[in-house]
Amino acid sequence: MEVLRLQNLQKSFGSVRALKCASFALNEGEVVALLGDNGAGKSTLIKAISGVFPVDRGDIYVRGQKVSIRSTRDAMDLGIETIHQDTSLAPDLSIARNLFLGREPVNLKWLGVFAPLDLAKLRDAAAALLKRVGISKKLDADALVSTLSGGERQSIAISRAMQFAAKVIILDEPTNNLGVEETHGVLRFVKEVRAAGHSVLLITHNIHHVFQVADRIIVMRRGEIVAEQTVADTDLLTVESIITGADMSALLKETRAK
Amino acid sequence: MTIAAEEEMPRSKRRSSLIRSPQFSSLVILIVLLAVFAVADANFLSPLNISNMMAFLPELGIIALGMTLLLTAGEFDLSVGAVFGLAPVVVMLLVQNGGFDIGIALLVGLLLCIAIGAVNGLIVTKIGISSFLVTLSMLLVVRGAALYITQGFPLKSWDQPGFFVTLLAGSFNIGTFRFYTSLWWFIGLSLLAIYVLHYAKLGNWISAIGSNRNAAVARGVPADAVKVWLFILTSALAGLAGMISAFRISAASPVAGTGYELEVIAMVVVGGTALTGGRGTILGTIVGALMLRSIRNGIVLIGVPGLAYNIFVGVIILAMLILHALLQKNAARN
Repeated sequence: MEVLRLQNLQKSFGSVRALKCASFALNEGEVVALLGDNGAGKSTLIKAISGVFPVDRGDIYVRGQKVSIRSTRDAMDLGIETIHQDTSLAPDLSIARNLFLGREPVNLKWLGVFAPLDLAKLRDAAAALLKRVGISKKLDADALVSTLSGGERQSIAISRAMQFAAKVIILDEPTNNLGVEETHGVLRFVKEVRAAGHSVLLITHNIHHVFQVADRIIVMRRGEIVAEQTVADTDLLTVESIITGADMSALLKETRAK
Repeated sequence: MTIAAEEEMPRSKRRSSLIRSPQFSSLVILIVLLAVFAVADANFLSPLNISNMMAFLPELGIIALGMTLLLTAGEFDLSVGAVFGLAPVVVMLLVQNGGFDIGIALLVGLLLCIAIGAVNGLIVTKIGISSFLVTLSMLLVVRGAALYITQGFPLKSWDQPGFFVTLLAGSFNIGTFRFYTSLWWFIGLSLLAIYVLHYAKLGNWISAIGSNRNAAVARGVPADAVKVWLFILTSALAGLAGMISAFRISAASPVAGTGYELEVIAMVVVGGTALTGGRGTILGTIVGALMLRSIRNGIVLIGVPGLAYNIFVGVIILAMLILHALLQKNAARN
């Protein structure tokens, strides 16, 4: 079933057409990798979906319904969660407080921003969540995020997105700056997220990771989507050549023929 | 360790993290300082001296509460000392020269402080200039305004008792101690600030904004609005403190509060709040306010020459900061 559909999204910054025309769809329980070189328009595209800025033209549909996303809040309310490498967690807050940042459980709701946090609920919900995602043994809900490793932080951010029953989880370079083992941990986590029925849009530079977890690959170049293929139908070299724009597979065939 | 984490911990862990926390080490040093001063000069703990300290404490302490919240959100305000001077000058001019009712004059003063805070906050958040530069400029504008409208002279003394004077600067005796109502203001506002920063939803937002603004914004936290309101709050508290001081001494001077901005920031960081944002503690700030107040008072009593005493204040603050940094390093290593 289709969860998210983008139709002819366009976005310019002054005279720069960062997003010329982008259309694609994301299905339920699917991991789609969004690839492209620097400046290809990947981040413009995900910022538009996650509500950082509005698009100039084009439509976004969530579960068949046309929606307008004007703020990050709108995107979150529609079930679209974006996880950036460095901007997802506040290091000076505990895991529990981070998990519920912006959606804190409170008592006396009528007090608005002055409402007291429901600390018991916060603790219990955080502990239950950590347990469900299988990292309860290692992590204490009260530990400060600054004491966690990069991989643990990614896991926390991803599990937070799952917690709020996000339909679409956008992962922006989730394995950047991570060690080998941590990278595997995060990729395993992505598979679990898919198994739990969420859709994932994975933005990465590392094509090897894509082939480990993704179902489908979308390649962008100069603000346009230039290729869309299922992982089974393609291979690393082909994808690489599409990204760079050089036809490496043709080159390869030539050398093989010789 | 922040307080934020403390109240959610089991008791044993809470105790050990409390001992390692910056506000605890500040408290220990405060107690040591008090003991040293008390031993060095018997008058230090006399009712008269304690009453004196308690009269001055709330005036800077109230500003420090606002500054703690603002610093935790990652910004600071250098214009508080100038606002401390301007607010009473404007109020007194309206009453003495304009013939306005004191209540209306106070309202105008409050609105002026709110406007100054709002301008600070809007320039910092909407235009994106660092709060250091914005509030430094505002310091000059506000201090300059106070000097210009008074032509540089203190106003004539104004000594009419009334509801507002009693409310802000009335005094009462407990035994041989003389306390001002401003102490109640400080205690009340401290409790409110503790609640907001450590137990309310807003406090979670403030810490998150200072810790990682982008993360907070990505979670739908209205970071800019929170910051603007904190600038307004800090400015309003500075005006309130200025009024309290002016009512207490029955006079308003355009140079009142000169240098207070740095003293207030010193109180806040000595208490353990991080200058870089994210980690704030109101209890620490109260300890810091008590500490700077008693240092200023104590080193005069024990006979440090008046001109040398800023040397001591500076050295003690530096020592505190070094201690915090070492504790932080130590905690990170564990």
